[in-house]
Amino acid sequence: MTQRPSAAAGGRGVDLFLRVVGGVSTLCGWIAATMILASVLITCQMIFVRFMLRQSTIWQTETVIYLMIAATMLGLPYVQKLRGHVNVDLLPLYMRPLPRKVLAVFVLVAGVVVLGVMAWYAFENWMTAYSRGWRSATVWGPRLWVPYLALPLGFALFILQLFADLVALLTGRDRAFGLEDA
Amino acid sequence: AEAQQLRLSHQWSTADVRHKVAEMVAEKVAEADVGLEIRIFPSASLFSATEQYVPLSRGQLDMTVYPLSYAGGQRPEYNLTLMPGLVRNHDHAARLNQSPFMEALEDIMAEDDVMVLVHGYLAGGFASKGDCVTRPEHMSGRTVRAAGRAFEQMLAAAGASISSMASSEVYNGMQTGVLDAINTSSSSFVSFRLYEQVDCFTPAGDVALWFMYQPLLMNKSTFEGLSEEQQQALRDAAAEAEEWYLEQAKADDVNAVEVYRNNGVEIAEMTAEDFEAWRELAMQSSYASFLEDVPDGQRLLDLAFEVE
Amino acid sequence: MDPLTLGAFVAIVTVFVLFSGVSVATGLLIVSGGFLVVFDGMRSLELMPEMFFGKLNSFALLSIPMFIIMGSAISSTRAGADLYEALERWLTRVPGGLVMSNLGACALFSAMSGSSPATCAAIGKMGIPEMRKRGYPDEVAAGSIAAGGTLGILIPPSVTMIVYGIATETSIGRLFLAGVVPGLMLVGLFMAWSVWSTWRNTGLSVMSDRRYSLREKLEILPRVIPFLLVILGVLYAMYGGIATPSETAAVGALLCLLMAIVIYRMWSPASLWVVLRDSTRESVMILFIIGAAGVFSYMLSSLFITQSIAMWISGLDVNRWVLMGAINVFLLIAGFFLPPVAVILMATPILLPIVLAADFDPYWFAVVLTINMEIGLISPPVGLNLYVINSIAPDIKLKTILKGSMPYVGCMVLAIIILCFFPAIATWLPELVMGPVI
Ligand code: NA
Ligand code: NA
Repeated sequence: MTQRPSAAAGGRGVDLFLRVVGGVSTLCGWIAATMILASVLITCQMIFVRFMLRQSTIWQTETVIYLMIAATMLGLPYVQKLRGHVNVDLLPLYMRPLPRKVLAVFVLVAGVVVLGVMAWYAFENWMTAYSRGWRSATVWGPRLWVPYLALPLGFALFILQLFADLVALLTGRDRAFGLEDA
Repeated sequence: AEAQQLRLSHQWSTADVRHKVAEMVAEKVAEADVGLEIRIFPSASLFSATEQYVPLSRGQLDMTVYPLSYAGGQRPEYNLTLMPGLVRNHDHAARLNQSPFMEALEDIMAEDDVMVLVHGYLAGGFASKGDCVTRPEHMSGRTVRAAGRAFEQMLAAAGASISSMASSEVYNGMQTGVLDAINTSSSSFVSFRLYEQVDCFTPAGDVALWFMYQPLLMNKSTFEGLSEEQQQALRDAAAEAEEWYLEQAKADDVNAVEVYRNNGVEIAEMTAEDFEAWRELAMQSSYASFLEDVPDGQRLLDLAFEVE
Repeated sequence: MDPLTLGAFVAIVTVFVLFSGVSVATGLLIVSGGFLVVFDGMRSLELMPEMFFGKLNSFALLSIPMFIIMGSAISSTRAGADLYEALERWLTRVPGGLVMSNLGACALFSAMSGSSPATCAAIGKMGIPEMRKRGYPDEVAAGSIAAGGTLGILIPPSVTMIVYGIATETSIGRLFLAGVVPGLMLVGLFMAWSVWSTWRNTGLSVMSDRRYSLREKLEILPRVIPFLLVILGVLYAMYGGIATPSETAAVGALLCLLMAIVIYRMWSPASLWVVLRDSTRESVMILFIIGAAGVFSYMLSSLFITQSIAMWISGLDVNRWVLMGAINVFLLIAGFFLPPVAVILMATPILLPIVLAADFDPYWFAVVLTINMEIGLISPPVGLNLYVINSIAPDIKLKTILKGSMPYVGCMVLAIIILCFFPAIATWLPELVMGPVI
C-alpha cells in the first residue's frame, strides 16, 4: 500500500480507521500462526502417545482439524492485508485507469456481499449449534459451537479488512488491483 | 407435466448394498408412474459422509441412506442405534425395527422433520493384524480404529488404544502398521479392501456385536407435500426394498467371509460366551456413559431390551 | 435450461469472473452463490458455509500447511542453500542440471506426501529462489516446480488414489503401485524437456564457468547430512508404521523446525516468526481456495452439471478409443475448473462402468485420470499449483508461471498417449507384486 498523502481524502480519521483495522488483522495473523504451530505439536504428541506409549488418541485429530479451520478463518483478514489472496488480473491489466478503478470497487463490493452471506449463515449455524447443544459424534464429543464460531468471526473480520481496503481505494490511498497507472 | 424430482444423497459407492436399496426405491417409484423421479447422488458427491442429516432435516435434501448414529452429537438418543450387543442377529434387528423402541426413535426424528422410509441394520466385526480378536482381553495394548462412539468406549475399556482416524486413512494405517485392528461393517470390510492387509477376520456370525442402524430417511414435510398416490408409491417401493435390504444384509456377512477366506485371511469365530464377555464390558463402559448423557436413556434402553 | 447448456454457461461466467482480478477463492464463492440463487433457490445459500466448513473438515488437508512449514524452515536456513550448492558442484556439467535435481526432489517428496500443492510448496520454497539466483529463466524455475509438484498425487501415497479406490471399489494398494512407473516416466519426460529447453534458451550460460575439483565436491557433502536426516526421518515415520501419510507431514515440519533451531542456530524469535508468518500466509491462501472450491463443486453437483456431461459421454455410441478420447477431453475440462477429488467423486461412478464395459483396465484408467487431474492442477482458472507458486514467488507473474508450465502439460499429454499404446507401464508393477487381477 503506497501512501500518497497529497491525493488522500478524508484526513486523519480515515488513517486511524485503516491503521486500527490493519492492526486487528495483524493480530489475527499472529493467532492463526500460533494455531498452525500448535497443530504441528499436537499431531506429533498424538503420534508419540500412540506409538511409544500405546495409549488412546481421542481428542487430537479433531482438535487439529478445528485448529486448522480456525487458523484459515482468522488468517483471512491478515492475508488480505498482505495482499496474499491470489488473483488473476488479466482484465484490469488491459483497462484504462478509470474503468479499472470502477471494476476494482465493483469486485470489492461483490466480495463483501458474498462473504456477508457466508458470514450471516455461518452465524446462524453457530447459533443453532449453540442453542441446541450440538456435539461432535465422536467419543471425545466436543461442543460444536466452539469450532463453528471460527466461520462467522473469520468472515466478519475479513469483511472488515475488505471494507478498509475499499475506503483506501476510494480515498486514493491505494491503487486499483495494486497496478501502476499506465 | 415434468416429473417432480427428489434428491437422494449418500456416501457409498455404486456397488454397495445401500446404494442398491436407494436405486431399488428409485426404480419402483419410476415404474409406478406417479410423476415422481428420484435422483441419486452416490459416493458423497453432494454432501460429505457425515453431513447429510442437517440438510435433510431442513428440507434441502429430500432423502438419504444414513447411519443414524452419525447424528448422535445432535440427538444423543441415536447413539442407541450403534450399541455393542444391543442387537444379536439380523432377525432380532428386524423385530426391533417394528417395535415400540423404534417408534420412540421415530418420534425424536419427527422433531427434526425426518421420517424413516426403509428400516435396516447392517452387521460387522473385527479384522486384525497378527492374533485374532474374539474376546475383550485380545484388545489389550493394540491400536484400533472403531466405528462408533460406543464401540470406542468399550474397546478403550478393554485396554485398547483408540485411534480416531479418517476412513480414507484406514487402509494406509493398516498397511504401515499404525493400526493393529479395525472394527467396521461387513460391506466396508469388503469395499475398503482391508483383506489385502489383515491376517485375521472375525465376522458377524450367529451372534454379532456390531450392528448399525442405517435406514433410508426422508424429509417428513416433503413426503407429506406429495400427493396420496405418490406417497403410496414410495411406501410400496420402500416395503419391497426393506425386505430385500434384510436379505442382503445377511448376504453381505456371508460374502465378506467368502472374500476374506479367498484372500487367505484366517476366519475367527465369536462364541456366545465371548459375546457375553463383551456385553458385560459394554454395560460398564458404553451403556453407563449413554445413561449419563441421556436423561430419558433408561426408558429407551428398557424398550430396546424388551424386544426378543 | 438443460444441464449441458448450463455447464457451458457456468464455465464462461467462471472464466470471466476469475479474470476480473477478484481473488480466486472469493470469485469461486461469487459464481457459486450466483448460480445457486438463480437455479436452486435462495435457501441453498444457507448451505454455503456448511459446504465450506465440510470441505476443510478433513485431516488429510492438514499435510498442506505442514509441508509448507517444512519448505519454509529449510529455505530460510543455510540448509537449503547448502543443498543447492552441493547439487551445483555435482551437476555443473549438465545443462538444466538444477532443474533436473529439483524435479528429482519433487519425485522424492511425492513419495512422502499425498498431495500435489503440498509437494509443490515444499520444493518450490527452496528450489525457485535457488534456480533464479543461478540464472535460470523465471519461466523454467516456476514451470518445472509447478509441474513437478503435480507428481504428488501420482507417486504413492496419494489422496486422490485413495478416493478413487473407495469410490470405485478398486484395490488402493494396487492403485498406488500402478502410479509408480508412470510417475517415474513423467519425471523422465519432464527432465528431458528441461534439459532441452534450458540448453536451447540459455545455451551454456547457466552452467557455471568454474569447474569443481573432486575435493570440493566431497567437501560439501557433510553439509547436506541434516537435510538427508530429515528426509530419512520422515520416510521412516511413514513406512515404519509410526504415522499415516497425513500425520507424517507434522513429523517433517517439527524435524525441520528443530533442525533450523538446533543445527542452524535459528534462535531468535524474529526469524522463527518469519518462517511461521510465511507458512501461515501461504496455507491460508491455499486452504481458502480449497474451501471455496468445495462450495463450487457443490454448486456443480447440485445442478447436476458434471454428472450430466459424464452421462452424455456414456451414451455415445462410438469406437472404444474415440470414447477414451472423449473421456479424456471431459476430464481435462473438468480439471480446469475443479480440484481432483471433486472430479473423481462426481464423475467416476458414471464413467467407470463405461470404461470397464469398453474393456479398459480400471487401474490403467486411474493412472490416466490422475495425469489428467495433474494437468488441471497447473491450468487456469482453478489451478492450485499455479497459485502455490504465485504465493511462493509473488514477483513472478502468473502469466509467466503458466507459460513455463505449458510445455510440461505437453509432456503429460504425451505420457497419456504413451500409456494408451503401452498400458503395461501402469499394470506391470501391480501385477508383478500382487499377481493378476482376479
Ligand atoms: Na504422493
Ligand atoms: Na485447473
